[in-house]
Amino acid sequence: MEKKIRHVDVLVIGGGVVGCAILRELSRYDVTVALLERNPDICDGTSKSNSAIIHTGFDAPTGSLEAKLLLEARELWPEVIDSLHIPYLQTGALMVAADNEELSTIEADIIPKAERNAVILQRLTSAEIVDAAPYVNPQTVGGVLVEGEGIIDPFWTTRAYCEHAVLNGAQVFLGEAVTGITVESKNQLVHTSGGMVITAALVVNAAGLWADEVARLAGDNSFHLTPRKGQFIITEQDHGVSQIILPVPSRISKGILVTPIVFGGVLLGPTAEEVTAKNDLATTAEGLQRIRTGVSKLVPAMEQALSVRQFAGVRAVSSTGDYIIRPSTVSHRLLHVAGIRSTGLSASPAIAAYVSALVRDELGLSLRSHFVETLPEYLADDYPDEGDVICLCRSITRSEILAALRSPLPPNTLDGLKRRTGAMLGDCQGNLCMPRLIDLFQQQLGRDPLSLEKNAAHSSPVVGYVSGLAHSVLNQAPLSLEREG
Amino acid sequence: MDDPYDLAIVGAGLSALSALRAGIANERTVVLDYQDAPGGFLRSALPAPGFEDAWELISTFRLPQGVTAYFEATAVGLLPAFNASEPHILLVRLKQGTVEIRARRVLIACGGLETTREQAQIPGSRPAGVITPVLVHQLLARGYLPGRQALVYGGARYVHATAQRLAAAGVKVTLIEPAANNSIQGEEPSTEIAEIVGFPRLQCVRLRRAGQLFDAPADSLVYGASMVANTLWLKGSGVMTRPDGAIQVDEQYRTNVPGIYAVGTVVVPSLDHIDSITMGKEVASLLTGGLS
Repeated sequence: MEKKIRHVDVLVIGGGVVGCAILRELSRYDVTVALLERNPDICDGTSKSNSAIIHTGFDAPTGSLEAKLLLEARELWPEVIDSLHIPYLQTGALMVAADNEELSTIEADIIPKAERNAVILQRLTSAEIVDAAPYVNPQTVGGVLVEGEGIIDPFWTTRAYCEHAVLNGAQVFLGEAVTGITVESKNQLVHTSGGMVITAALVVNAAGLWADEVARLAGDNSFHLTPRKGQFIITEQDHGVSQIILPVPSRISKGILVTPIVFGGVLLGPTAEEVTAKNDLATTAEGLQRIRTGVSKLVPAMEQALSVRQFAGVRAVSSTGDYIIRPSTVSHRLLHVAGIRSTGLSASPAIAAYVSALVRDELGLSLRSHFVETLPEYLADDYPDEGDVICLCRSITRSEILAALRSPLPPNTLDGLKRRTGAMLGDCQGNLCMPRLIDLFQQQLGRDPLSLEKNAAHSSPVVGYVSGLAHSVLNQAPLSLEREG
Repeated sequence: MDDPYDLAIVGAGLSALSALRAGIANERTVVLDYQDAPGGFLRSALPAPGFEDAWELISTFRLPQGVTAYFEATAVGLLPAFNASEPHILLVRLKQGTVEIRARRVLIACGGLETTREQAQIPGSRPAGVITPVLVHQLLARGYLPGRQALVYGGARYVHATAQRLAAAGVKVTLIEPAANNSIQGEEPSTEIAEIVGFPRLQCVRLRRAGQLFDAPADSLVYGASMVANTLWLKGSGVMTRPDGAIQVDEQYRTNVPGIYAVGTVVVPSLDHIDSITMGKEVASLLTGGLS
């Protein structure tokens, strides 16, 4: 195979929320930047399957890099939300104690730790909790309010970071996995599954769960990551839930929460399960039952709420117990950004600023003269006479689908379109409108249905063509709409 | 402002077509549907053995004289009248944008959606190939194969017709009935789906029967266990629905809101297609017979 050789100044490996946030920061500078993502679309790993909370970091390990970056991120979020138009709601989070033992854990551990992380918690009596959130279990004995916690659309955040970078000149290569890294004195050579060789002055390894394996490709065995799975249940029966409801956490996890979703509905979960495979995204009967049992203690009505969807996400647990953001042991021009466990979304603006400072120091960058500060609102574009509904369940119009397909970073998969527009997320889970979306992909982007994936490679809903004629009326003469008489 | 319509019919599936053929409409009638042609979601599955009545109704349908029809027109909201002198208002999304359609009486015949593996909370992986019958028919209608080895799960006649159509397209099909028919030996155990296995494409479906688990290899699962009423768009309208989402009506198809009626799958999600046709005829005779 003939190798396609390209050169960039900085190459980011990984199109999750962390990689895309870094790409956006780097696109402010007068250098060429590119991003590699092994999946057919961005945001297809940990960044898409999480509780979608912007944490204050009130419970982050004291003195950790994670705590420091979560604190810094709080200052950066308003600008990010504003310039990228990200759907965000500062709902606040209520931590409710089921008994006096949990209440003393709050007093002894949670409040002092929050104060060390510069977050002030407000104590609430059980009566105050039930007054503020009548859906909470009335058996609660008290708790605390974390006012600064909020909810966001994690896919929107990731997509908008990336789109903003593309608008400022960044290149994005999708469906390209890293197969080898050769460290040289001046350049790093990155080989991909699609036969590309990218030479880069500096490489940022933001490969999420797979960051340890990417490090190993360069001969760096200095850390390892283990997968922790979290299962979730989505319900549209919100029972009035308007705040994040947290249990008093255990040692390994924040526990199972009840979280409103920024575009409607409620998220229940996650579980925290040590698994062996990094791609183990299966839900289990036991896991789903554990979520129901968990939420019944917080919001009793959620035990029986009808679900429209369940899913699982896998997050990276770092062997060091903290974020790993430092140069590789084999080259100071290979920068690891790894072990970003479940707080990567919340910390992403600060991680990006921290990493871009490291890159700036290493390469001596200067700001570019033309930087587009604000992302245009492509997804709100309205096309005249294209207002008919395509997704029946969620009333998503043809105009909204076209806006996504014509954006600077158009979806490359059906799930990519789903996450950009909300189509296929309703009761029918896309069974009604998917064929029409396949038609639009074909018309707008010239995509052959056979190669249009649902998400990963080999996931197309269409596996072949019917030989001979299908027997449907749609292939016969159109039905007459002539009138009687 | 124009005079309101006498009757607005939401949906142009079997029950609505049946009501129209039975003479429910006058010259101040409007009918609207999400799709680009009448016949409901059944349309792409026909003709099929056992559905001769439905096919005859759809294929020979003519819009009665004077009736206004909007296709690719989706009702997204309903504001019932405050009193008898006011019309009801339907919010309808057209290509040109959202319009208000005002009508003295509304017949809701907007059918149902197939329940999914997600609503049944079946655990396992989330691969491509886990679909419902309506997707099968729409893909086949475009000449696309949804799989090569399909497991079709469901007991309704429509699900059997789906299995037959897949087989005719060259797909290897296994039909699984959730509850087996009563046999001479007495009731047979039911078959449940315990788990979905495989990624990125479905590899097999783990079934549970009489406490035993066994794996059925398949690259697609056509899940046709049941239907759910299409009533999400009525949220906040005041039209009363049951806990399962179906619209509550009396024996004369009246909802709790005066002047608003409902028929078909939106009232009884498990309805057979033959019964939709019957209901359409009944509501036509009741409404034209002077029901208020």
